[in-house]
Amino acid sequence: MEIDIIVWILQIILVPVTAPLCVGIIRKIKAKLQNRRGAGIFQPYRDLWKLFHKDEVISKDASWIFRCAPYIVFTVTIVVGASIPLFASYSDVTGSGNLLVIIYTLAIGTFFLALAGIDIGGAFGGFGSSREMTMAALAEGGFIFSLLTVGIISGSTDLFAISQNGLIQQGYLLPSTLAFLGLCIVLLAETARFPFDNPATHLELTMIHEAMILEYSGKKLALMEWASANKLLIFIALASNLFFPFGLAQHADSGAVLVALAVFAVKTIIFCLVIALLESFIAKFRFFRLPDLLMIAFIFNVVAIILIH
Amino acid sequence: MTIENIQQYLPKNAKVEICDNIAFFEVSAFEIKEIAVDLQAKGAIMNLISATDEGGGQGGFNIWYVFGLPKKNIFIIPFIRLQHTTEFPSLTPAIHSACNFEKKIHTFFGLTPVGHPDLRPILLHENWPVDVFPLRKDFDWQTKTKDVQRPYLFQKVEGEGVYEIPVGPIHAGIIEPGHFRFSVAGEEILLLEAKLGFVHKGSEKLFEVLGLGDKVRLSEKISGDSSFSHSLAFCQAVEQLSGVTVPERALYLRVIYAELERLANHFGDIGAIMIDTGFNFGGANGARLREIIMQINERLTGSRFLRGAGAIGGVLKDINAKEAVALGRHLEKIRKDFLEVIAIAENSTSLLNRLTDTGVLLAKTAQDYGALGVAARAVGIIFDARVDFPYAAYAKLDFNTVETESDGDVYGRFKVRIKESFASINLIKNALTKLPKGPVHVNIENVVFKKNALALGVVEGWRGQIIYFITTDASGNINKVTPCDPSFLNWPLVSEVGAGNVVPDFPLINKSFNLSYSGNDV
Repeated sequence: MEIDIIVWILQIILVPVTAPLCVGIIRKIKAKLQNRRGAGIFQPYRDLWKLFHKDEVISKDASWIFRCAPYIVFTVTIVVGASIPLFASYSDVTGSGNLLVIIYTLAIGTFFLALAGIDIGGAFGGFGSSREMTMAALAEGGFIFSLLTVGIISGSTDLFAISQNGLIQQGYLLPSTLAFLGLCIVLLAETARFPFDNPATHLELTMIHEAMILEYSGKKLALMEWASANKLLIFIALASNLFFPFGLAQHADSGAVLVALAVFAVKTIIFCLVIALLESFIAKFRFFRLPDLLMIAFIFNVVAIILIH
Repeated sequence: MTIENIQQYLPKNAKVEICDNIAFFEVSAFEIKEIAVDLQAKGAIMNLISATDEGGGQGGFNIWYVFGLPKKNIFIIPFIRLQHTTEFPSLTPAIHSACNFEKKIHTFFGLTPVGHPDLRPILLHENWPVDVFPLRKDFDWQTKTKDVQRPYLFQKVEGEGVYEIPVGPIHAGIIEPGHFRFSVAGEEILLLEAKLGFVHKGSEKLFEVLGLGDKVRLSEKISGDSSFSHSLAFCQAVEQLSGVTVPERALYLRVIYAELERLANHFGDIGAIMIDTGFNFGGANGARLREIIMQINERLTGSRFLRGAGAIGGVLKDINAKEAVALGRHLEKIRKDFLEVIAIAENSTSLLNRLTDTGVLLAKTAQDYGALGVAARAVGIIFDARVDFPYAAYAKLDFNTVETESDGDVYGRFKVRIKESFASINLIKNALTKLPKGPVHVNIENVVFKKNALALGVVEGWRGQIIYFITTDASGNINKVTPCDPSFLNWPLVSEVGAGNVVPDFPLINKSFNLSYSGNDV
């Protein structure tokens, strides 16, 4: 019984607790690749700590949307983070592991993020929201179809059920590869990574995600930053656990859970490494080339579904 | 230089005075436009328009039109005298590059160019009173003006879905201040207007007040990243006025220092262009290479920006034989290093995709605006002051290739910088091997200036041609120093090129020009 409680707690807190570490690891690898020493991998935690202890400046033109959005956006990532398979494929804590529920719960977060961006009426926020919605609308198709592909292959729309059935073993190598590639493109778009967005830029005119949260400061900024780190880990968890579901704990056993956590850590670090390499060796794409890339993700997934039968 | 050589450029009956390589003559206000257009048609380039206060009410004002003859190293300067009037005819409708010079004279001298299409003040902002003209002699440099609030009128674009984005003057990076007003429809820029002047320091006024030594130091600060080139241009002009002969060794050292400055900045820009596309590998290496040169600068002169190296009558820092050998070897290593970085960059399709066809400057636009330096050479304009108005030891080093590109996009400007960097390395190595022995500086303590004379100092800084125009009065004192950084002529190009591109590409376009705010605002 005890192990069940521990797994429950772990399932709920794992994403918010470890997500900043992913960001720290990506930054560290990028720094190394640029011949820089870089900040320690725990720096994002220190940044959050610092921001939580700062005062906020809120525009007098801000409405309730601006004030509430960080809580909504953050809560969404917590709920979603608890509702997807992370290390145990049986521990559906919230009972909401349906793929459509997950996709559209994430969309609620994006919706409020975009609203918050335009709420103050600043020039950059509007820009960011407009660009984010362009991206989100195009990424959504790829996202749904990608998860749908694995859903069809494993005969369930429940993410936990999907992660219990291995995909490759069932002889669907090509469709699941295509769906995986499609999801990777969506991952980069949704988490504001290269080639879609540059999380390290200081150039307001080129920003997408950063432009929307430009007006935030202090605690609310901390929540926004934290939420975007959570989102990154959520997407990494989806991509790794749905397509490479090995190593997940199948039942409540402390040994299995420990192994599963280690495997999850390894998978996550591999994703972080790939993202960091990508951000070091390619340039950001031109804005108007991005829809093409998202269309490719969509087409990959449609082809994947066709290939299933 | 004799009058015969340049007879074809002079109007008949002109009373021409000659000062070294400068021919100047008075023309009437009615004729100036015709003469200017004629000079330009004959291949002269309008470098600068400057005004001098010749005693305000009584003596009136002079307006000088500096035209250079490339390759010939000759300057033709017609001027007009304004007495009992504050109006002069505007050249802008005929010669577009006159636009900002005339605006500046209008703002700072209160003289009105009649027929100018846009007489909004330049550099001085809405808190400066309209009837105070700081470059007139009766304006004391320490005057504190009353705070006023006038509206600043931006151009308006109207239509469905058109909106404005104000950007700056404070930016997110560690860069100088400048305000950009974008009128956009969706992501496309319809109109871009820059409001500069936030780093106006009154340097031109200060040149009237400071002693000679301090004037050199001030010239280093017109645009900090071009410290050596600016002070070199100023010193050359003063040397021309005083007839000082600079020792041979100093001329070679000037080439070495000026090219080190170019190298450091080109490396920095090449890296910065790459980092603005998000190509982090290139960005990190550009910054690294720049730093290597900056450290060489510090070792040689004690200043990372080569400040204090330039002086009237030569240079103040010598390079000893051991240091010269080390520098040559070091540069060879840097060349190989740079070659590797560029090879990797040129192999990155994602980088090249961002650079090509972005921010295209048309050759016609560049010509009309009198574009200078890297921006001009990237559209194929073959002009480089080192070749066209040779100074220091450039002619003796057989430097006669102007590196150009033809496309005029960000990639073009990127490639011109790469080619010039290699050329600079070769130039320095060449200068080091030919470095003559001897003193590096002559004493200028008892120097006297020519009376009622003009002098020009022209230097190809890493951004483009830097000009210092100096006039002396009847007792041989310096009357007016007009510094002109290439940024002053090139800034309007950025606005021109920005239109039609998408907003997220603008920082990259701006970086590919990398103009000086300080040099523009003086």
